[in-house]
Amino acid sequence: MYLPAGFLNYTPKIICMTRLFIAALALFCLSCQTRSVTRITPETQMDLSGRWNDSDSRIVAEKMINELLTSPKFKTYAEELGRKPAIVVGLIRNKTSEHIDANNYIKKLEVAIYNSEIAELVESEEFRDKLRLERAQQQDFAEPSTVSEWGKEIGANLMLFGEMTSETDTSNGKRIVNYITTLFLTDIETNKRVWYGQQEIKKFVKN
Amino acid sequence: MKQLLFRIVFITLTFTAITGCASYYQKHADFNSEFEHGDLKRALETLGRYQNESESKTRFIYFVNKGLLLSILGEYEESNSYLEKAFLFGEDYRINYVNEATSYFTNPNVVLYKGEDHEHLMLLYFKAINFLKLGKSEDALVECRRLNIRLNQLGDKYVSEEKLQRNAFIHTLMGIIYQAAKDYNNAFIAYRNAIEVYENDYSKMFGMSPPEQLKKDLLDAAWRIDFMDEFDSYKNKFEMTDYQPSSQDADLVFFWHNGLGPIKAEWSINFVIAPGPDHMMVFNNNELGLSFPFQVDDEKERRDLSNLQFFRVAFPRYVERPVYYMSAKIERGSDSYDLQLAEDINKIAFYSLNQRMLQEFAKGLLRAALKKAAEQSIRKKDDRLGAVLGMVNALTEKADTRNWQTLPHSIYYSRIPLQEGKNDVKLLLFSEQNQDSISYNFTYQVKKGETLFHTFSSLETVAAPYRYY
Repeated sequence: MYLPAGFLNYTPKIICMTRLFIAALALFCLSCQTRSVTRITPETQMDLSGRWNDSDSRIVAEKMINELLTSPKFKTYAEELGRKPAIVVGLIRNKTSEHIDANNYIKKLEVAIYNSEIAELVESEEFRDKLRLERAQQQDFAEPSTVSEWGKEIGANLMLFGEMTSETDTSNGKRIVNYITTLFLTDIETNKRVWYGQQEIKKFVKN
Repeated sequence: MKQLLFRIVFITLTFTAITGCASYYQKHADFNSEFEHGDLKRALETLGRYQNESESKTRFIYFVNKGLLLSILGEYEESNSYLEKAFLFGEDYRINYVNEATSYFTNPNVVLYKGEDHEHLMLLYFKAINFLKLGKSEDALVECRRLNIRLNQLGDKYVSEEKLQRNAFIHTLMGIIYQAAKDYNNAFIAYRNAIEVYENDYSKMFGMSPPEQLKKDLLDAAWRIDFMDEFDSYKNKFEMTDYQPSSQDADLVFFWHNGLGPIKAEWSINFVIAPGPDHMMVFNNNELGLSFPFQVDDEKERRDLSNLQFFRVAFPRYVERPVYYMSAKIERGSDSYDLQLAEDINKIAFYSLNQRMLQEFAKGLLRAALKKAAEQSIRKKDDRLGAVLGMVNALTEKADTRNWQTLPHSIYYSRIPLQEGKNDVKLLLFSEQNQDSISYNFTYQVKKGETLFHTFSSLETVAAPYRYY
């Protein structure tokens, strides 16, 4: 007769499990679950799994926005330039073990820059290509007086780069993760870093 | 009244005797035979006749079977519509506690089949690959994100590290999908996670090591996103210090679905109840040397239980369908590429069930005890009726033998560099010790920078060397 390996080792546990099953079954029958959905404000901080979530993106965005808008070095750069610097979003590198979409906080930062009018935003490479394709097609198909002209793109002065890293320590169902998000603006002409922003988020997760 | 009751019981008994003993595999013998013989169109027609199962307790299996079958037949859009239904079923699944309670007085087949963890991952694998074959990489990325959520859920579901919490192949697949979408950063993360799971979990649980292709893909991804520290460090770790990142025009990711995954069958144990010391009642099986003591303080309850003679408890078990072909390689011109084992679905299924056996034993024993208690209670009022219920209980005692039985036994893969334009490629399959081999030729037209995807299913098993698709 077939017998799975380790069957006999289960014996004492089975007795406890059986009793637990009876108790659980009785409890379940009393409380039949149904799915419920509640709308909550986006600012509500809720942590379920301990992994990176919307609250972390929001914390990073708020910190970065605050640091950029109050940065004396950025102000000095803008004054020396004599006009609002134009910023283009470059590469945000994710070196963590989680698939985190940096757009979740970068877009918030872009909106803050746009609304504060401390700088101009120009399209990133991906969107520039689409715009150029559209402009090229306009040359052939659009009414001449409405055609967008070539050579009028605004050249960016600064490029936004970033990097996310994480360090994880685990033991006995406990986990500490420290996420470090660093953003920086680099002068495209001189390669000089004009602004730095950094946010650390440390989490202790107990299972 | 009593006669009517007897009649109902008799009809139930007859019906159960005719249909009740068959496993899920046996109940679908016609479909399984056609599928295993590679008669896929007929198998699809047969599945059409089981359409009522799309509303039944086995609807998940119906959806995934149809999705898989249509995928092999190249009907990717329709395949995905069924796989999506299976995915949504998994999302919306809620325990029906009434059915759950009923299962303790009958058998677990009255409960909705929710699907094994690996089955929920595999359905998204098929769906993502269907999208990639259709050239819809954005849609494949959606499946990729769903897989990530599923993997997170799996990690949170189990506390014990002995349980299968992580899936290396799915991380690898995610990397492949991200790479196809030119998102090398996420591809790198996925490949790195896959390496970690292969090295720590899969090596211990299944004796597997990371596929060579995965190592190359990880290095390529690191190099493409300029993670030079990681590139150098992994080159040293993998002892691939001479590795040069690939710079081919295009590539082909070739998946080989080898054989057929295991089916679930039933095994039973007979227990005898005997009084033990200190208010204990002992459930014994002398043949296997099994003994489960239960404390019963009430004297009357102990006496009632002593009157019970024996009971049979049924448990599920997996039966492997051993593969016929043991290895495969792809030749393109003078170059040869081994297809490497990335996922052993057979071992995963066995491992998951073994890890769950404690629960299965507890459920089975509880079910048997509850049935016996009901029988004993009726016997006190009417011995004949009690005896009939005893027979009904014995006949309805059944293990849950449901599982996704059209899944492959194991999945192998490799990435083959292609040149822009026409490429001729040869696939070679080898049986044990290369006693038998077979080859298939394919031609691909590819554009520069493009990644093509091909899945090849060989359904042959040792017992029945059949056909391929």
